[in-house]
Amino acid sequence: MDNVKKSIISLEALSNYIVLFAFAAIVVIFSVTTDNFLSLENLYNVVANKVVLLAIVSLGMTIVIAAGGIDLSVGVSVDISGLTFFSLLAAGYSAVLGVGAGLVAALLVGLFNAFLINKLKIDAFLATLGVLFIGSSVQRLATNGGTPITLTTEEYSPIFRAISDSQLFGLPSPVWILVGCSIAVYLLLHKMVFGRFVAVLGAKPGVALYSGVRVPRELSKVFVYCALLCGIAGILLSSQVKSYIPLSGDAFLLDAIGATFIGTALTKDRRPTVIGTLMGVFLLAIMRNGLLLIGWNFFWQQVGIGVLVFVVLALSFGLRRREE
Amino acid sequence: MSGVTGPAAANSSMNRRALAALFVRLGAFAAIGIILLYFAIYARGFTSSYNLQNVVEQSVILTMLAYGMTVVFIGTGTDVQQGGVDLSVAANAGLAGAVFVTLLNLGLPEPLAILAAIFSGMAMGLLNGIAVVLFRIIPLLATLAVMNIATGLELTITGNNVVGASSEFLTMLQFGRFLGISALAWVLIVFTIFVTILVHYSPFGVRLYAVGGFPEAARAAGLNVGFNIYFSYIFSGLCAGIAAVLIVSRLSASTLGTGLHLLPVLAAALLGTVFSRRFVPTIGGTLIASLFVGFLANGFQLLGISSYWVSGVQGALILLVVALTSFAKPAEGG
Repeated sequence: MDNVKKSIISLEALSNYIVLFAFAAIVVIFSVTTDNFLSLENLYNVVANKVVLLAIVSLGMTIVIAAGGIDLSVGVSVDISGLTFFSLLAAGYSAVLGVGAGLVAALLVGLFNAFLINKLKIDAFLATLGVLFIGSSVQRLATNGGTPITLTTEEYSPIFRAISDSQLFGLPSPVWILVGCSIAVYLLLHKMVFGRFVAVLGAKPGVALYSGVRVPRELSKVFVYCALLCGIAGILLSSQVKSYIPLSGDAFLLDAIGATFIGTALTKDRRPTVIGTLMGVFLLAIMRNGLLLIGWNFFWQQVGIGVLVFVVLALSFGLRRREE
Repeated sequence: MSGVTGPAAANSSMNRRALAALFVRLGAFAAIGIILLYFAIYARGFTSSYNLQNVVEQSVILTMLAYGMTVVFIGTGTDVQQGGVDLSVAANAGLAGAVFVTLLNLGLPEPLAILAAIFSGMAMGLLNGIAVVLFRIIPLLATLAVMNIATGLELTITGNNVVGASSEFLTMLQFGRFLGISALAWVLIVFTIFVTILVHYSPFGVRLYAVGGFPEAARAAGLNVGFNIYFSYIFSGLCAGIAAVLIVSRLSASTLGTGLHLLPVLAAALLGTVFSRRFVPTIGGTLIASLFVGFLANGFQLLGISSYWVSGVQGALILLVVALTSFAKPAEGG
């Protein structure tokens, strides 16, 4: 009897480390099978180019998922911010104004979500789905059906270099922006009263309601924070590729959801955390990078990532619930 | 509104809510009626039988996929994070289409290729079921992973190319007519009747609603919850498989981007809940919603309004409808 109990406990404990095991396994496999996977240059490349943007969007998604919602409109915030930024630059306004207006535009998307959820009492999933549809129309109308805005002339390159190519203490500035965002979200979720509201909303919405938490109001705030983070990602994305490509932000949506939920496998009670989400993003990025290095094409990478996510989740959820 | 209801209803919030619900439902029907009427009057050719058939044919694929999503909603609940949703249904259809076309081009007999396509859809559905029931992964996430796998496999099989295919059967599906109605429309009609009987007029359907509505109660009543969830996902896979064959027949090829149907499918299935008395997913509601989405796009086209507006109007419509229903729905104590 005692024996059985012990083995179940160890299985359950094991399930909390699945992400770490997967991480270790991936690193070992790829460093053996490729020459330069573990090289500093490659890791730098992965972090600077692949991790930062997805990580910032995923941090926003983490706040929303922690509160029990899903934000399907992250791509809209990313794109609207880039669109505003580039439109103002092209119209001859200063970069500071452009960045500020881009962030405000993303904030407006979040406020619109908040209005729908708080005032019109629309379910968050549906509200953000509606915003996703509207956002795609807005972008098509603004760009004449989806023509990218490209600003490659000399005039603009110092601005973009300053935003995405500059370095601070040996690391690219987007990485520092990510660090800043991570700390902010960590403080928000784990050190502030608002974070407690978010946690109870996510774990037991009924309890939150009866404990006097103004549920729609607190829930709607979550979407404003998320939109702001997406706005930052939008500015970084557009300055990195030096053009605004309509609807390009939608690519983040599913990866951000995936990364956040992979991160939940790290904690005992399967709650989203900042560290977990960053791990999730990094796991997806190094997996993709490793598959690329061993020569899998983009199609097989897609399959590989899907299988990885599936297996990690199956192990983490499957092992844990056995014990019930 | 309370003036109309009179004193009898005023003392009971239940009655008032039922009335509000009725109002919303009638309002939704009225809104659709008015929009269609507007198109009929102002959009030239909107009511021609050719155009109407064309819209129905265009909506067949969306409707088939939305049926799959609806059955998943019915069998596993509409709560987004914990309940069921099948994000993989559209990507699944893409994969099934690729399987179908590839096998056909390899010279396999057509019935076998069709069976293989449907089987591929159902296999992906089974994978969803295993992930949700056996591994207890949150459906949103499980189907997301399966969606990635399906998209990746589709890309691998087709090499990111449009793969053409033609056969007598496909031509028949595309151009065939019977009693003045096109073959695609017939497929939709027959399948709709089949699903309606299964979901709304069989003991099986009652159990499906019970499991999706309140799993704990269903389990306590002795229902096999796991089986019903497996069924929902496999059925969704079946819909994807059939839709795949229809897509190939319409386009004479398997093309990428079938996965992009996901959001319209979600919207149609969710919008469809407005047309039921208790705002639950129903087959009829989904049919109305997806046909309406088709008519909307078509009407815009005929009126000469830029297609860039279509998704925005759809989004605004979703928000409007859901905002209205949220006032009529009972408060959630969850």
